[in-house]
Amino acid sequence: MNQITKEMRDLARELLASGEVKGLIGWTKGSRWYLTPPVVITQPEEAEQLYFDQFAVNNLTGLLLDYRYGDDKIALFVKGCDSRGIVRLLQDHQIKRDNVLVIGVPCMGMSDKKAVTDPRQPAELPLLDKCLECRYPNPVIADRLISGALVSGEPSEPKGLTASEAAKRGVGSKQADRFAQVKAIEAMSADEKYAFWQAQHEKCFRCYACRNICPACNCRECIFESDKKGWVNKSATPTDNAFFAVTRAMHVAGRCVECGECERVCPMDIPIMALNRKVIQDINELFGESDAGTDLDGKMPLGLFKNDDPEEFM
Amino acid sequence: MKRIGVFVCHCGSNIANTVHCEKVAQVAKDFPGVVLSTDYKYMCSEPGQVMIQEAIREHNLDGYVVAACSPRMHEPTFRKCAARAGMNPYMVEQVNIREQCSWVHADKEKGTEKSIDLLRMGVAKVVKNEPLYSTTIPVTKRSLVIGGGIAGIQAALDIANAGYPVTLLDREHTIGGRMAQVDKTFPTLDCSACILTPKMVEAAQHPNIELMTYAEVEAVDGFVGNFDVTIRKKARYVDFDKCTGCGACTEKCPKKVPSEFEMELGVRKAIYTPFPQAVPNKPIIDANHCRYLLDGKCGICKKVCPTGAVDYEQKDELIMERFGAIVVATGFEQFDISAYEEYGAGKIPDVITGLHLERLMNASGPTAGKIKRPSDGKVPEKIVFVKCVGSRDEAKGRPYCSKACCMYVAKHATLLKEKMPNSKSYIFYMDVRTPGKNYEEFYARTQNEYDAQYIRGRVSKIFQVGDKLIVRGEDSLLGRPVEIEADLVVLAAGMDPRSDAKDLARTLGISYDQHGWFTEAHPKLQPVETHTAGIYLAGACQGPKDIPDSVAQASAAAVKAAGLLSKPELTSEAMTALCDEAICSGCGLCQSICPYKSIEIKSVNERYHGQMRQRRVSNVNQGLCQGCGACTVACPSGAMNLKGFTNDQILAEVDALCQR
Repeated sequence: MNQITKEMRDLARELLASGEVKGLIGWTKGSRWYLTPPVVITQPEEAEQLYFDQFAVNNLTGLLLDYRYGDDKIALFVKGCDSRGIVRLLQDHQIKRDNVLVIGVPCMGMSDKKAVTDPRQPAELPLLDKCLECRYPNPVIADRLISGALVSGEPSEPKGLTASEAAKRGVGSKQADRFAQVKAIEAMSADEKYAFWQAQHEKCFRCYACRNICPACNCRECIFESDKKGWVNKSATPTDNAFFAVTRAMHVAGRCVECGECERVCPMDIPIMALNRKVIQDINELFGESDAGTDLDGKMPLGLFKNDDPEEFM
Repeated sequence: MKRIGVFVCHCGSNIANTVHCEKVAQVAKDFPGVVLSTDYKYMCSEPGQVMIQEAIREHNLDGYVVAACSPRMHEPTFRKCAARAGMNPYMVEQVNIREQCSWVHADKEKGTEKSIDLLRMGVAKVVKNEPLYSTTIPVTKRSLVIGGGIAGIQAALDIANAGYPVTLLDREHTIGGRMAQVDKTFPTLDCSACILTPKMVEAAQHPNIELMTYAEVEAVDGFVGNFDVTIRKKARYVDFDKCTGCGACTEKCPKKVPSEFEMELGVRKAIYTPFPQAVPNKPIIDANHCRYLLDGKCGICKKVCPTGAVDYEQKDELIMERFGAIVVATGFEQFDISAYEEYGAGKIPDVITGLHLERLMNASGPTAGKIKRPSDGKVPEKIVFVKCVGSRDEAKGRPYCSKACCMYVAKHATLLKEKMPNSKSYIFYMDVRTPGKNYEEFYARTQNEYDAQYIRGRVSKIFQVGDKLIVRGEDSLLGRPVEIEADLVVLAAGMDPRSDAKDLARTLGISYDQHGWFTEAHPKLQPVETHTAGIYLAGACQGPKDIPDSVAQASAAAVKAAGLLSKPELTSEAMTALCDEAICSGCGLCQSICPYKSIEIKSVNERYHGQMRQRRVSNVNQGLCQGCGACTVACPSGAMNLKGFTNDQILAEVDALCQR
């Protein structure tokens, strides 16, 4: 058992035994060596189920939405990228600050299980692209910290117990490439772009995994499941899928916290983050650089009215 | 299905020249819901409107579409027309086939096709229109006038005389503004103070006017009829309730400071009233220069004050007041001549501006009305005026004419000749502009009776030789260079907007042009209104103006303000945002984006799995909402909808467009 897992279990046991929290969301050892899925526990003795390793990639913050109308205090573990989801939910007033206990963990970078060749044979796997591009390896918000994790609201180097391991694995080594795919697509001709996206949208079968994992997708009633037909159809045709993709991107415009989970969970490998990043790039150009979900008191560029907002379209 | 009427307007030949109106009306007959479609020469005319009203009754219409000019032009007309026939006015859609079609296209076939498309969209939309109703909001029967120059004073007096309370606010500690600095006024040569001071006193004593000097607008919330204005009352360090204005403090104060009022040609004290006729005529302490406030030493004013009015502990005070209407009369700044290095401006002491000369001429000015040049106090004989300094000069970013300079230069030349018969004025000009009553006559007298020599041409350089100023320029009428050895040069500096005008505009939510002049709602037909209802403009803050124009505009703005205040209540916008509480997730994005602060988050109880639970939802204040729609686009859930422009209606339009 690794040190982080041990500290997780100890803290979880303590929090649940003392009654400080009613439940706790973490990760557990999965059925295969490369699986570390989420788990919700409510009893101190269940703390033994918790587990953390380089496959604990799931952003757990979206699960808090299940508790948004309750008054139970829930604890959950966050890596740097996940923690911005907490800020998202707080800024969107979906959870109450007092009803969540955020536990920050250090992150060594998450491995890409799509690179698994033999499901029976553990092997060294490359980092996920989103971890190579990571700019916030440390939690931006936390009430408790374990294993030397540190809170940082600014882009920073990995800290804590796994700092050197993270550095060795190359966490954040490709930060500069964050907008590379956006630039590549921007360089295409209109026809090429259309062909590119059409090919992507043909793959989508509307499983909504991207929506379900996203902490910014926190509407009470998702428009894609609304009975108000018209704007978008549920059928998985390329046209409707394109509409779905663009609508989803616009719904999280200015609110996407770049955890990259949408793209990771997509079973069809659609480059969903390219669209999110295009919006982020445009917002940065129009309203100045900012990172959504890093500053709880910060105002969202698209959530604010200013008389001197750029309005070159007028 | 609703019963829809379609009325296609020819607008004389405005539309009919580029659009086959009959054909458009014919095609529209087949649009879903249309039971009547017709065309007419002028729909907005009386017979046109009667035709529509008869059709509404005869065909029992639920709604109608008029294809005509821009809704900006005639939407109110056609809404009223519907109301007269008993139809809810919001069951009308106006399709713009003039500005957006006939005026911008030349090909009649294509224009017709486009008109049909636009009309099909309009019909698709109106089918989904719902009757809307406006509510009423109360009007706070008080007005705020920002700026206490002649325009502000006039506006305040007119509103007060109409019977409404006015707060006259000035950031300086006296009202009077620029006009108080002026010596005499054209074209009658009245002494400026003699006609201004009675008005200042009248404003101060008027039972309906509250004078609030040395105060600035900090923030403006709310909307027409009910503006909540936060005002910063700056610390004066003198308790005006105790001060009698005896002047002992000013006399004894050891600190001398160049007087802003005297254009720094004279001095004032650190505790001072800027000029003898100031209103209120009580001193304040200039915290930037007071020795006691800066280093805690001195305190003489406090010692000599017989009533104990000096209070070094005074702090700025923030107050919030509610006003129904606001008149902005913040005036202008004189252009900073130091931009003209070639004229030695700002470097040669005897190159001065018009306002400097006003103070030199004024009997209560620093020289007691004797014209003495600033450098050595010598009485000048040859005076050169250079016009259009900081006006009509693209290179200096001032393409506009400052309007008052031609006349004030003529006035100066006249007055100089009167004061000093041996003097001679030379006036370099580009054009002489005298479009005012008795202005041209005044200008003619300046030339013919007062011997001013007008030289058409621009001055290229001014420099010092000994105690003379060499003015080198060109006489473009004679086509040869001229050089004049002058004793004094007066640059007729133009008008600039207040350097912080843009900040005030943002605070008030009004617009300004590229230079910083506040923008009127319409250059011809709404010259004193702003685009923000309930806020009006008076005087030079809207653009360069002389005194008669400023006063006239002030009275116009006052009538607008009083007209607003005279209404028992205001009708609120009917096309407002509405939140679908079932969908709203209470994220509050709409609240932070709302420019009118009309959205609040409220808590609703709902039954969920047998238990009551509370959750947050947005609530739009229907009185404050102006229907801008910012919240509807910000809302991630689509819970926010703009009545009259619902997502459904817009979708119907898009669908209709795609159906061609």
